[in-house]
Amino acid sequence: MSKNTVLKIDDVVMRFGGLTAVDHLNLEIKEGEIVGLIGPNGAGKTTVFNCITQFYDSYEGSITFNNEDGETIDLKSKKVTEIIDLGLVRTFQNIELIPDLSIIDNVMIGAHNQFKTGLVQHLLSTPKVRKEEKRIYDKALDVLAFMNMSDLKDQMVHGQPYGILKKVEVARTLMSDPRLIILDEPAAGLNDSETDELETLIYKIRDEYNASILLIEHDMGFVMNICDRIAAINFGKNIATDTPAKIQAHPNVQEAYLGKGDDE
Amino acid sequence: MDNVVRILFNSLQTGAVYALAALGIVLIFRAGKVTNFAQGMIGTFNAYVAAVFFRWLGWSIWAAVPIALVTAFITGVVIDKIFIRPAQNSKPMHKQIITLGIIMILTGIIPFIFGVDPIRLGRFFPTGGVDILGTTLRFNTMFTVALSVALMGAIFWFIQYTRWGLAIRVTASNKVTSQLMGVPTNTVTMMAWATAAMLGALAGIIIAPQSSVNPTFMLDVQVSAFFAAVFGGLQTFFGPVFAAFIIALARNSAMFYLSDIWGNAIVYILILLFLYFKPYGLFGEAPVEKV
Amino acid sequence: MTEKTNSTITKNTIITFFKERPWAQYILFGVLLSSIAFLPQIGVMRNSTMSIFALIIIYTIAAFGLNLLLGFSALISLATAGFIGGGALGIGIFLNMGLPFEVAVLLVILSGIVIGAFIGILSLKSQGIYLAITTLFVQEILRQIYTSVGIFGGERIDIGTITILGGIELNRFNFAHRSIIFLILIAVMVIIMIIFRNLIKSRSGRAFMAMSRSKSAAAAMGVNIMKYRVYAFIIATVFAMLAGVLYAMYYQSAPTRAWTLDLSLLLLAMVVAGGFKSVFGMFLGAFVVYGIPTLFLEDIFGDVSEIFAGLLIILVVLFYPQGLIHSGPDIKKGFKKIVGLFRKKEVTQDE
Repeated sequence: MSKNTVLKIDDVVMRFGGLTAVDHLNLEIKEGEIVGLIGPNGAGKTTVFNCITQFYDSYEGSITFNNEDGETIDLKSKKVTEIIDLGLVRTFQNIELIPDLSIIDNVMIGAHNQFKTGLVQHLLSTPKVRKEEKRIYDKALDVLAFMNMSDLKDQMVHGQPYGILKKVEVARTLMSDPRLIILDEPAAGLNDSETDELETLIYKIRDEYNASILLIEHDMGFVMNICDRIAAINFGKNIATDTPAKIQAHPNVQEAYLGKGDDE
Repeated sequence: MDNVVRILFNSLQTGAVYALAALGIVLIFRAGKVTNFAQGMIGTFNAYVAAVFFRWLGWSIWAAVPIALVTAFITGVVIDKIFIRPAQNSKPMHKQIITLGIIMILTGIIPFIFGVDPIRLGRFFPTGGVDILGTTLRFNTMFTVALSVALMGAIFWFIQYTRWGLAIRVTASNKVTSQLMGVPTNTVTMMAWATAAMLGALAGIIIAPQSSVNPTFMLDVQVSAFFAAVFGGLQTFFGPVFAAFIIALARNSAMFYLSDIWGNAIVYILILLFLYFKPYGLFGEAPVEKV
Repeated sequence: MTEKTNSTITKNTIITFFKERPWAQYILFGVLLSSIAFLPQIGVMRNSTMSIFALIIIYTIAAFGLNLLLGFSALISLATAGFIGGGALGIGIFLNMGLPFEVAVLLVILSGIVIGAFIGILSLKSQGIYLAITTLFVQEILRQIYTSVGIFGGERIDIGTITILGGIELNRFNFAHRSIIFLILIAVMVIIMIIFRNLIKSRSGRAFMAMSRSKSAAAAMGVNIMKYRVYAFIIATVFAMLAGVLYAMYYQSAPTRAWTLDLSLLLLAMVVAGGFKSVFGMFLGAFVVYGIPTLFLEDIFGDVSEIFAGLLIILVVLFYPQGLIHSGPDIKKGFKKIVGLFRKKEVTQDE
């Protein structure tokens, strides 16, 4: 693994019964990179995400992660709940927020493991608990300010417009000071101006948080603009992994699904 | 030896009763998308109807039972239309709570309509039986078991081979798509509730003669039916029926050979342990979660 | 003019003080409720009415535990009545063994933790219907144990005078003592209210909600689902058993047949009617579901508590799924409408 690789997907195979969803996939993500994963529906993209985050841990091959201290960790040795502690965090295709909590409460959940206090202390609301709660609350305020959502902090998630919900999910990931953020269709359902806003936001996140970003997307214009590299897959297999320009020109990729090109 | 045979015969009837109730639960669960906790109580209510016609009005059991089945049908329809339909889009837990509310309403109404005393209900065939292997197999038992099996068989046939049965299966697997395909899912759900109510009433009528019709006489049936439903797996219609007979046999055996107070508890504990390892029952399969 | 402003400022300061400090609200509520402890002594209230309020408080405490399961963790438990019974009968047994009161309470709480943990672990692989059935089974097993096993005395366990804090004797046949016991009930309820609120506003509270609304997101954010499920059951069981202890304290006896599925359902109705996740809602739920039928309707209609409760929770689920505690705005609107109707009458009459 080269020095500044963050994530390495090495010959991963994931089968569901008779169906091979991921077929000897290879992908490396380096520090500070924005990598896009594209492919037609059913190509296995979300399955790859689920393997990385250990929602599926019965894959063959290896997925390794280079943490802040330079250690290389085989993700299979970690449980789903331990992944976020490594600095690897994700958003979800279908918004997975808590509708009957406020936006800032939802964001604070992203820092769940940064709390040191336990249940009994919470019952008694000890001074330690209150200090911790304030610390994380302030952090959440910072994150929301970073995302220009400060005025929404106390509003319930329930009933918010889709674009806001997507932003809240992203805000939640920032609470963990992530090293690699996995975005599952971040631009889905966004209009043009919201998509531009998202582009700016992702650059901002990469710069401020020194994070690498791996994203699945169908919005080709968005993907070609923002990604340093793109991995095109189909039927769970690599087709091509290269810069956006080269991918656009790649015959196999075009054949698989680009069809008429950008869908702007 | 005659103990074994006797336990077997008892288990046939008990199993049939559990199976009827379990089938009702699974029908509503699959076609109505609701966990109907009130299954036992609805059966109790309509068993009261039969008991009232039988004992207070002196009708023959053969006349009282069809009346009870009719009221059961109406009960199912009414409950579906008034309480369940408005909650169609509520969360599953809310729908479950509604069925709990129905239990409370029925429990509260029974004393007002039927009084507080237990009412005895007679058997279809009060006397007579056949001697087999040293034990008497009563005509009544033969009849009730045959009736139950025939009824359930008819329902299985109906579900498998008729258009309405197809509608039920389709609604059970995906309601929204079914609606888009023009399947009258509301009618399907209503039929499920009405049928389940009738099955529950019949179960109560069969088992009532062993004690009497009172507010809690179907509690054991209710609990066992639910266990049969989950033990057999809620993804098929026949699984719970099969499981019901197994539970009845296990229960009667345990109560005879181990302990008559704790026999049923032992069986339930075993089932819970089984479910810990196979949460989807004998015939069910874990759905693959898509994140 | 200045006087008016001064009193408005004081009023506002007081209101803000309470608004910002929920625990102060709970204590104030407890203080107000305490007056009931003395009303029978001055002849304004029947003793039986005070008992009804005692039961409302006891049910409220159990409801908090069920609320944590139901409202926060989306876990249906039908075994609450069984656990209240466990607390009542448990403390009866320990006290009759001669143990000091405080030790007995501690033992009951400990057994609540163990049993709650056990059920929590059992529940891990179950969802929805399977879980409900497991709790149904637990409820029925407990009931069977209480009524069949000899140690529980058949009909009930009599406790008699209780000695707390080493020397203070409480005998329920002494009116002054009964008031003290009532105050203790209130004190415990207020403490539970404070604890409950602390919990739901903490990281643990958020974890409970995350775990029930979106397991995947919760896991991805590092919430250990198993741990929190077990926690939820432990707390719910301990609260229920505590309610049972208070029951035994107040009545100085613990019945064996009272802990039925119907009672579990009633408690569920209280949580649903009062409002998931609401602190005052629990008292409101207990009051509406148990108090109203028993205090007002029983004399007119007889025992309609179950029909009333059943209809109530169905209506609440259909129209106020968040609980009656949130019906405030609608009640205000309805009120204003009625007042408006009267005002109209006045105007037309004047004309």
